[in-house]
Amino acid sequence: MKVPMKWLKEYAEINLSAEEYASRMVMAGNGVEGIDNTGSLFDNVVVGHVLSCEDIEGTHLHLCKVDAGQEEPLQVVCGAPNVHEGAWVCVALDGAHLPGGVKIKKGKLRGHVSEGMLCSGPELDVPAGLYPHCGEEGIILLKEEYKPGTDVKEVFHLGDDVIDFEVLANRPDCLSVWGLARESAAVLDSHCVMPEIAVQETEGIGRFEDYARIAVEDDELCPRYCARVIKNVKIGPSPMWMREYLYGAGVRPINNIVDITNFVMLETGHPMHAFDLSRVRDHTIVVRRAHENEPLTTLDGKEYTLTPDMLVISDAERATGLAGIMGGEESEIVEGTTDVLFECAAFDRTNNRLTSRALGIRTESSGRFEKGVCVRTTMEALERACMLVNMLECGDVVPGAFDHYPNPQNPQVIDAEVDRINRRISCSLSGGEMADILERLGFEVEVSGNELSCTVPEWRMDFESDADISEEVLRLYGYDRIPSTLMTGVTMAGRRSERQTLLDAVKNSLIGMGFYEALNFSFISPKWIAALNLPEDDPRTRFISIRNPLGEDTSVMRTTLVPSMLNTLALNINRGNAEGRLFEAAPVFAEGKTETTPATEKLSLCLGLYGEKADFYALRDVVLCLLGAFGVKASVSAGGDGYYHPGRRAVLAADGVEIARVGEIHPDIAEAFDIEGRVYLAEIDLWKLPELARPVPEVQPLPRFPAVTRDIALVMDEAVEVGPVMDLIARAGGKLIEDVRLFDIYRDIKLGPNRKSVAFALSFRAADRTLTDAEISAAMEKILTACANEFGAALRS
Amino acid sequence: MQDQLKAIREHVTEELKNIQDSNALEQLRVRVLGKKGDLTAILRGMGKLPAEERPKMGQIVNETREKLEAAIDEAAAVLRAREKEYRLKKEAIDVTLPGVTRVAGSLHPMNIVLRDLLDIFTGMGFEAVEGPEIEYDHYNFELLNLPKNHPARDAQDTFYVDDNVVLRTHTSPVQARVMTTRKPPIRIVSPGRVYRADEVDATHSPVFHQIEGLVIDENISIGDLKGTLDTFAERLYGKGIATRFRPSFFPFTEPSAEVDLTCAACGGKGCRTCKGTGWIEVLGAGMVNPKVLDMCGIDSKKYSGFAFGMGIERLTLLKYNVPDLRYLYENDLRFLKQFR
Repeated sequence: MKVPMKWLKEYAEINLSAEEYASRMVMAGNGVEGIDNTGSLFDNVVVGHVLSCEDIEGTHLHLCKVDAGQEEPLQVVCGAPNVHEGAWVCVALDGAHLPGGVKIKKGKLRGHVSEGMLCSGPELDVPAGLYPHCGEEGIILLKEEYKPGTDVKEVFHLGDDVIDFEVLANRPDCLSVWGLARESAAVLDSHCVMPEIAVQETEGIGRFEDYARIAVEDDELCPRYCARVIKNVKIGPSPMWMREYLYGAGVRPINNIVDITNFVMLETGHPMHAFDLSRVRDHTIVVRRAHENEPLTTLDGKEYTLTPDMLVISDAERATGLAGIMGGEESEIVEGTTDVLFECAAFDRTNNRLTSRALGIRTESSGRFEKGVCVRTTMEALERACMLVNMLECGDVVPGAFDHYPNPQNPQVIDAEVDRINRRISCSLSGGEMADILERLGFEVEVSGNELSCTVPEWRMDFESDADISEEVLRLYGYDRIPSTLMTGVTMAGRRSERQTLLDAVKNSLIGMGFYEALNFSFISPKWIAALNLPEDDPRTRFISIRNPLGEDTSVMRTTLVPSMLNTLALNINRGNAEGRLFEAAPVFAEGKTETTPATEKLSLCLGLYGEKADFYALRDVVLCLLGAFGVKASVSAGGDGYYHPGRRAVLAADGVEIARVGEIHPDIAEAFDIEGRVYLAEIDLWKLPELARPVPEVQPLPRFPAVTRDIALVMDEAVEVGPVMDLIARAGGKLIEDVRLFDIYRDIKLGPNRKSVAFALSFRAADRTLTDAEISAAMEKILTACANEFGAALRS
Repeated sequence: MQDQLKAIREHVTEELKNIQDSNALEQLRVRVLGKKGDLTAILRGMGKLPAEERPKMGQIVNETREKLEAAIDEAAAVLRAREKEYRLKKEAIDVTLPGVTRVAGSLHPMNIVLRDLLDIFTGMGFEAVEGPEIEYDHYNFELLNLPKNHPARDAQDTFYVDDNVVLRTHTSPVQARVMTTRKPPIRIVSPGRVYRADEVDATHSPVFHQIEGLVIDENISIGDLKGTLDTFAERLYGKGIATRFRPSFFPFTEPSAEVDLTCAACGGKGCRTCKGTGWIEVLGAGMVNPKVLDMCGIDSKKYSGFAFGMGIERLTLLKYNVPDLRYLYENDLRFLKQFR
């Protein structure tokens, strides 16, 4: 809300600079976005009188001598067709700054020295609404005479400070000059005087009822509707002071009647509407719900189809406007308007907002009704408009007014306790001191011992309980006077959640292994899930959608972290980052409503790897190592989702529970994600980890007897996987076997077609004795037999 | 025989002068002192000597043996030392040569900041509690005094899944969950991901992170809130960092405050970071609205409380002087690697 300081000072005593004033207001909760000055548009532009004006031959230019209040007249070259001898003009002097960063310098034009520039309205960015002659073609020709050299800001009434208030959601009363004037006086502890409301009605022209009939059909959506009629209206520009205030507040001045409605809205916070009564069919206004599918064309020429949830202003025939949102085109005020009906009403805040949202129309008026407009002061605002008609002498106020207010609101009284407020806000004020503060804000307060009975001023709509009273007291007493105290009471043990503790451990491990943490949005494009080519019945294709997403790319909650990681890898590869080790730990979402939670959220982990040294084993071993850090010994078996390379993918399980998947990404999928080259991904179901994790077991004594090692080379089919062979060796070796290690794979045609020789180093040990040859040989025998039976593997000769 | 011994002694002395490596030395030792060596041969020949000469001769031979052994050992030690010296010299490497690079990764900067925050708050006796990101309207809004059709609930701000389910717009629903299930005293912080329908730009993101705190006990006052946040500010940014409370409005709290911290970049003198004000707006806070306590089943006559909340993105941008919020969600390794 932009408010010119001068306008505020009409009502409130403010003896501070704009900066000091703003900072006082901010510290009392009235945010200020900025301080502007209407005169900051330009400088060094003065009134000049054209003494002579000659054409420069062969051009459209004129050579002018201009008296700009300096000792000697200035010579100025001007191209405007309307410049002439005797004209009163605006001269930008040498060194002047104009809007848009333009700087005026003395120079030469077609060989003639030009010591300045004669300005047009657009060049000074002064709208015709503020100063009518600024709208004319060519340079501005001032219609009055001034002392040459007068700063043109004086002519245009520019130079006032404008405070841009950021009004809090609970203070719609401060979306008005009067509200801010009251607030200013309270904050500064100074005076505030509101104009006395007194309307001069013109006798002998009948009464309101003779001019208009109004019916309000829905008291709930329209709790109050006030109207007045103005006759013999003379449409014309409003006076300079009103234009100046409107312009400063960022509203374009149009004509006296429209300006009055805008002025009253800014001053009182009540949106108003003016109808050209002659164009309201039957001079009848009906406030009612729209009919199903009722059509409406608004002021801006757009067509809408309405529903009975929406409140309309209608004439005898059809809806002409949306109540509190936008008026109709037909009854708009025009140049020839003579009879005007002023409407000032209160509409239901929620309904107004829902209608404005449903139709996608937001106006200054709808914004105000949405935030809250005070029902009780509606008539006062309407009367203020009529007072202004009197003041501007632009019409005759018809005696009588319409005021539909079936359920008048009573003043609100809130009881509070002095000691309770003091405890809450860490103060020790007396009841009297609190009453003083509240009375500054317009409350009526009765103090009786510890009890306060506070009557809320009629313009305030934000009070619910004594907590609100405590805030008002503290706000004016000063937030800067809050002491810094330490909580007393039960000592509590702080700690992280189990989830955080788990995540910390996981992340520490991964960081140690050279991985960087990535963060991606939780919502993704359904296309990215589709690109994974999952089977139709895969649960990951059943995602939760957002009803009002920003766009398709952020429209569904991810059921897997894979697409986000693929995008992350693609970005890094495409930006030329040679190698990447990344991880993301985040929940994945699935349907699954329960009493306590509307969806299922499972903590998941995804690793991504690429680069010269990246391969399947590198990533698989990172996963094994990570799981190992939690005491989880996972077994590896071939297999996995279709988005992995069919020959390079594995599933990791522990205690029969699948916990992770790892593999090289299928080239088709990589291509779909704009990835060139090989990338590797691993997915770990972190939510299962706490169940599977094993604490560090009891310590085993260190071995006292030596280990015996044996190397064996087994010849087997190429298709036999080494992992299961090693598992079998460990099983067949029984208690004595301590370690099985692969040390070589050898391929030679002499071994037979599609055969390989795999060499293992075995280590045997017993805790209580040195093993004998016989024991080792027996164990080896078992191992060899098992390998032969299970895998057709034979000892290499 | 004595001549023979002398010849052996001279031979060994001569040989030792020339021997350059330990193999040759070993061969010499075997040739002279070994089982089939020269000296052994002499000892064997002693049988031919008259019995009375034998002890004397034996003594001489043994003395010779000891001397030779000593000489060879000494030569061996010298050789070993020389050889080790040679080996070490030969094994010298270019220690500046690039090797196989092993780099430790890092947390995302936002989680570095979050770790700091959790350290501070858990140290102050706060328990960290988490909750779901897809949340019931009831917890996200209604229990927090944001009834249906409150302007702050406009679809412009909130992502809806259906009429009663939203992506949480703050971590406050975790507080509502705690208040409805636990009895005071309560002292929690709730960090986590939150969602608002803001287009992505240099300072906005539809996904961001918050940490919020809640304390409920008997006789909690706004001074306690200030004391808590003063302590927090000092632990986060160091001594001399103060808080400044400005009145504000949140439906959840009454009174409410925007809380500024002394600008850590300039120490409050005024700089570009704080736009010359000396203060940085970091937190929203206030006394829990008694209506909220009552709605959550906590007796507002007996208990009072305070709550505060802040955006982790903002703290991260401030801490590391990150120029654009988009950096945080792009995951470009050239950015991530700057946090070691």
